[in-house]
Amino acid sequence: MLFNSYSFILLFVPITLGVYYAIGRAHRPASALWLIAASLFFYAWWRPFNVLLIAPSIAINYGIVRLLLRWGDRRPGASRAAFWGGILFNLGFLGYFKYSGFCLQMVHDITGASFVVRSIILPLGISFITFQKIALLVDVRAGRVTRVALRDYALFVLFFPQLIAGPIVHYRELMPQFAALDGLPRAENFAVGLTLFFTGLFKKVIFADPIAALIAPAWLQAAGGGHPAFFQAWAACLGYMLQLYFDFSGYSDMAIGLARLFGIKLPPNFNSPLKATNIIDYWARWHMTLTRFLTAYIFTPLTLSLTRKRAAQGLPIMGGRGTTLRAFGVLLAYPTMVTMGLAGVWHGAGYQFLVFGVLHGIALVTNHAWRLRRPHWWPAKSRAAHFAGWALTFLFVICAEIFFRAASVSAGIGILRGMAGLSGLTLPMALLPHAQALGLHATGVWESGTDFVQLWGWIGAGLFVVLALPNTLELLAAYDPALGFKVRPAGHTRVLRKLAWAPSFAWATGLSAVTAAGLLSLGRLSDFLYWHF
Amino acid sequence: MDQAQALKELSRIMQDVLDDPSVALSPGTTAADVEGWDSMTNITFVVEVERQFGVKFKTAEIEEMHNVGDMLKMIAAKKS
Repeated sequence: MLFNSYSFILLFVPITLGVYYAIGRAHRPASALWLIAASLFFYAWWRPFNVLLIAPSIAINYGIVRLLLRWGDRRPGASRAAFWGGILFNLGFLGYFKYSGFCLQMVHDITGASFVVRSIILPLGISFITFQKIALLVDVRAGRVTRVALRDYALFVLFFPQLIAGPIVHYRELMPQFAALDGLPRAENFAVGLTLFFTGLFKKVIFADPIAALIAPAWLQAAGGGHPAFFQAWAACLGYMLQLYFDFSGYSDMAIGLARLFGIKLPPNFNSPLKATNIIDYWARWHMTLTRFLTAYIFTPLTLSLTRKRAAQGLPIMGGRGTTLRAFGVLLAYPTMVTMGLAGVWHGAGYQFLVFGVLHGIALVTNHAWRLRRPHWWPAKSRAAHFAGWALTFLFVICAEIFFRAASVSAGIGILRGMAGLSGLTLPMALLPHAQALGLHATGVWESGTDFVQLWGWIGAGLFVVLALPNTLELLAAYDPALGFKVRPAGHTRVLRKLAWAPSFAWATGLSAVTAAGLLSLGRLSDFLYWHF
Repeated sequence: MDQAQALKELSRIMQDVLDDPSVALSPGTTAADVEGWDSMTNITFVVEVERQFGVKFKTAEIEEMHNVGDMLKMIAAKKS
């Protein structure tokens, strides 16, 4: 069931919510069971078979959690075996569905051997569900979670607002909230929840979908081995960045808003990533719960053990400007590349995702090296340096994102060539004489100038929203919209003070318009990009 | 080693790690208060502290230390 469908918004949510609060006051455990049943229905809507896959996986994971809790430190050997068995089971589960085709493809590319590759349908949201299950196993083993009931476990995995595409949430931040609920509906939760939900819907149907349709021809051309020219390639690149942002941050707003309707706060997933002035900062603002997961469960343990090992051997470790090249390579570059390579292929099985991850890894390493060794005279705090940092980050991010979207690595390079001007220039007919006066040679013309204006109009509007306006969480900051969300010092602008959410006539009018626009644009259904991961 | 001495030692380690002699830690200091104290710096800092104080932290313990005071308490608990 799609978040952006009438059946979900007008039937599923009202019914689920109504029953939840109707039985919640008298019988809390029953309301939890109702939520589990509703979430299973939500998940089964596409392919009922999916439930048959996810249910045994929940049962097995729950069994392992019970074993870990029982054995704990008392039987370390058995406990360790159960833990690694659980990790392997989850990775194997994900690997079979997501990567078996890609692995066979790689074997084929390397050895030339050929296989019959059966196409396996990916169970919805499997990458996200698997991450949350693994995180819980780690947390139980580390002693961060000491009690898990089956009903709570099922609710943690299945809670439908975050089931398909996050935000990736920890058991220890979700379940205490459910335990503390009193089952009473609260006006503030509805106000904040509905604001987030419909703002997210607006982002999806008013920005992401129309932009996606406008840039689709250029991507199709690149996928077919064609060469999109300068303006098409730039529009394809910028437009896709905007599509991805509005799609995924819109989805995240909707997920956080839906959870809030049930009295639950989810962690923030986006904080104006395209305003970042360096790539390290970008990852602290883009898909924040994924960054948090990768940092906590891959990067930190890896770096910590490598650093301890080097320290024990008496070798130099990281230390400001005095850091040696070897220490930098072993303790920073290597773990960063491993983490980002995995982040790349986590998104999808394919070489282009690996390229995407590796590019971001290189950028992060470069950023760290710059921090350690930037020249003393560099005016790091000046406006000019901030602007230069922002421009470089933005340019890098949109170029790396090409490989995220491209059908293949060569299609991605086709777009990059176009952006570099190597595939010529196409202009609307009306501009042609002016271009010739400037000495530019157009290699083609746009069939209609209206298309050109419409496309760049959407991109301009999208860029304005993304770069100049406060984000949804900032607007709602006074009402605690997401777990631990705080407006950064630089975010406290005059615009934010003017626009901040309030139960006022202006906001009521604005939100009504946003809601109406969103609901009336649902005609053409499209799913969310991240639901494929 | 008493708390004041341990705090002084932590400041000195952080000055080395960040290569910035102006860093001064107090029990209330958090990572956000010190420029350059990111996740990478934190790992280096923790390992240096482990080495110089002769203690070892578990991953979960590292996450639970939210400020310098938490770290001082953790060190004291491990030393006693």
